[in-house]
Amino acid sequence: MAMNRDRKALIGRVLPPFTYVLDEENVRDYLSVTGENIAVYRDAETARAAGYDRRIIPPSFAPWIALSAMLRSIDWERDFYFDYRNGTSMFGEQEMIYTRALYVNESLIFTGTVRSVIEKQGSRTFDLVTVGYDAVDNNDAVALRGACALILFK
Amino acid sequence: MDLRPKAFFEDLAPGTEIPSASYGPMDRSGYITTALILRDGNPLHLDRVYAHDRGLPDVVQQGPLNQSYLYRFITDWLHRPWDLRRTKVRFVANVFPDDILSCHGAVIRTYREKDEALVDCAIWQENQRGEKTLMGEATFTLPERS
Repeated sequence: MAMNRDRKALIGRVLPPFTYVLDEENVRDYLSVTGENIAVYRDAETARAAGYDRRIIPPSFAPWIALSAMLRSIDWERDFYFDYRNGTSMFGEQEMIYTRALYVNESLIFTGTVRSVIEKQGSRTFDLVTVGYDAVDNNDAVALRGACALILFK
Repeated sequence: MDLRPKAFFEDLAPGTEIPSASYGPMDRSGYITTALILRDGNPLHLDRVYAHDRGLPDVVQQGPLNQSYLYRFITDWLHRPWDLRRTKVRFVANVFPDDILSCHGAVIRTYREKDEALVDCAIWQENQRGEKTLMGEATFTLPERS
């Protein structure tokens, strides 16, 4: 059964790239959920007056984009030997490096690599799987970089 | 609108506290939209019976949403939101509907690097009972007065 396989074999695995479009609908939904309301997120003129090329997304949305890109690109069983339907997973530590502002309607290509797998013992045994990723823009420049840890209970 | 006074690089030194901010109560009506944006259909965030069966008092608010409030606490206070350079956080405790989250920060060090005036801060989030829900660090740049 896939769940019983040693996840250390996953170290170095490159996850399938995923293109995330920061589309208007997602940005609008995000702003409505979090209530973030400063004008540079809603108005292009205000964003330009603040020194940005055009309307920006909130930096707080960046972790969502990164996690969403990862969750859309992976197959839990193939990539993490994890039974998502019956298993329990949680997010662990998240790190982000904000290379530049991110803009509404731009596309980013996320590519993740499994950096480490550490087995830990709490009330239950779990694997801490850390995935590092880069998000590059249409010019092949890194726009966002980070790492996220997934807690996969055994 | 965030009414906290903005700071300049020279105003900060190790130990300086960033003006705190509170958000909430947390609203479960946003959890479905959050699940759709994240593509994360984990029933722990959406199904109260499922959560009760696992010994939890209610559904658990999605972790990235908790993070959003902590990062917003920083970026609403900065002169420009994308002056944020780096964040690192770990989830310490669950957040539930109706919780009120307060966000805090304290300067660890100030320095200059690659023509930028940078500040490293400890940042954390607490619920209304004073329990920490997120802990981490943030690095941002601030304008200088001179």
